Amino acid sequence: MADIVDIAVGAGSFQTLVAAVQIAGLVDALKSPGPFTVFAPNDDAFAKLPPGTVESLVKSPPQLGRILTYHVAAGKYTQADLAKLNYVTSLEGSRIRIDCSDGFEVKNSTVIAADIEADNGIIHVIDRVILMGGDREVDVKTTIEFCTPEV
Amino acid sequence: MTATSSKPFYRIPRRVPGSQFPVSEIYKPSPTPQPANILPPSRHPYADIVHRLEAGGGLLPDSPENLMRVIGMYKAYAVPMDFYWRDLLYLGERVFIDPLPFFKYFPTQEYFDLPNHYAGDNADYRIWRGWEKAHPELMEFIEKGETGKLPRLFHHLWHDRINMEFSEDLARSMMWHRMSGPLEAFLDSEEYITNANRAIEAYLLSNPLYAPLIVLHKAFPQMFLEQARMATYMSILGLFWEIMAPVFFEISDLYDEGKIQTIPDAINFLVNGIFIAAGRPIYHHVYIKGKCYEIIPKSKGFMWLYEAALPYVEAVFYRTSPFRGTKSYNAEAGEVPEKQEDFHYGILYADKFPVGTAGIPPTLLHQDMSHFLPQYLREHLLRNCRGEGDLLVQVGISFQRSMYTVTSAVIQALRAALLYPLDDPNPKHLVANRAFFEGQLNRFLRPQYGINEASRILNVQTTTYK
Repeated sequence: MADIVDIAVGAGSFQTLVAAVQIAGLVDALKSPGPFTVFAPNDDAFAKLPPGTVESLVKSPPQLGRILTYHVAAGKYTQADLAKLNYVTSLEGSRIRIDCSDGFEVKNSTVIAADIEADNGIIHVIDRVILMGGDREVDVKTTIEFCTPEV
Repeated sequence: MTATSSKPFYRIPRRVPGSQFPVSEIYKPSPTPQPANILPPSRHPYADIVHRLEAGGGLLPDSPENLMRVIGMYKAYAVPMDFYWRDLLYLGERVFIDPLPFFKYFPTQEYFDLPNHYAGDNADYRIWRGWEKAHPELMEFIEKGETGKLPRLFHHLWHDRINMEFSEDLARSMMWHRMSGPLEAFLDSEEYITNANRAIEAYLLSNPLYAPLIVLHKAFPQMFLEQARMATYMSILGLFWEIMAPVFFEISDLYDEGKIQTIPDAINFLVNGIFIAAGRPIYHHVYIKGKCYEIIPKSKGFMWLYEAALPYVEAVFYRTSPFRGTKSYNAEAGEVPEKQEDFHYGILYADKFPVGTAGIPPTLLHQDMSHFLPQYLREHLLRNCRGEGDLLVQVGISFQRSMYTVTSAVIQALRAALLYPLDDPNPKHLVANRAFFEGQLNRFLRPQYGINEASRILNVQTTTYK
């Protein structure tokens, strides 16, 4: 079997993600034993971002890296494991909302291919790039402040 | 879409400072009939506005007059903002912890020439097609002011200048409200304290006049450290506005070219600008005797959206602090909230009619903006109300409309980033979007401390509020 990076390179539909991981210098980390759970946005997911977003982000590797590490959680969680959780904590530090009540949704993205096994973890392919924020309990005080990531 | 009535549609039982009425008590279904949609009509008191947001619009009704005022104010705001961000970076990077900062509003020529990262030929990402150095209208004002060509010090002493105090006040507001996302926690970390102390010592020792103060620094290590944090916030706000100035210049140019024709066009442009700038590094570098001290290095991964833009909107658009001229700070009167999250003195709640009188801080900004009004807006304002006589009040109200539009863009950008597209076919997703929009509007309905009465959202729905 291959590791997470090799699978993404081999699949062909993760060209933007693979390039971004290289620019952010996260290749070695994702080749390490882990294990990791990676929510991998495919090329269509990146194409849904407004024009200029990716282009300007690749000029700031540490900031790009922070967004990419939000797509990775430590540990190996299959869809069945995640169905038991409401949240999983990302390597970036913020929580990621998981909803398996009707399909398999990760924050505001939908998983289009789940449980792809790799040597050092597992990959779930998502249809939208997910971004930090809005992961606190929502109540009447829903505010812009509450949409910033948890400190 | 019919305009929401300017009459309040709910009664407030009694104005008790600090009371905690549940929001449900003031909820009444909207009487306005709604167009057919996948979802049933919203039952929120501001249902009209919810539906407008769901259609890609904003908090402000779309009309040519609104658009003209909004864009005109962006232009009038962008020119002083071009000075604010340059001087804020000068404060953060050069003035730093200067105990006697007599000339802090006199940035060196280097800072007027500082290339904006989002304008000009060598931009990281070109938002404004214009040039990267200070705006020509700004340079003309710095040189001549209202009085004529004089040395800058005389302009300053005659108060013929850009009111830089206003931008410092906003940076202080961000600091006091502890706003800057995860960066806030970093300011208390060992790493920050070590970096800041290294720069503080180098700064004090670099000047023979200040070198003895190193003893003071050793005796009271928190004193200059807190000043360093203040300088960090100056940098953060400077880096935030470095983006907004070219965004506002470009939107004004596009409007002049006829490419922005509606309020939703303007919102879309702003949303796109927010996404482009989202990953911009937020950092704090200090330059002492030509050496750069990285107090917050770019490699920490702090970014524009989370560490500058969202905290700014919360601290400045919603909160700031009570105007000395409108609220009593008397602790027994209980007018000023105990909790910072109840502060509601930002631009979205501000009473604009006393602009120009004592104790109303935004007057500073409105005076700055009044120097740079585009011709079409100036002529329009002079035809209204008392013309030149209440120009600052009219500028303030137009500015309030323009900031309601920026807030709309922030709300739409957050919806796009964290939730679902407006045309998502899944009703569950649309319900989530609606809950988010309604949640944002609830901020204008909270009864604590009369927040709902202070909110100007109903005023800006009308054409008579000017």
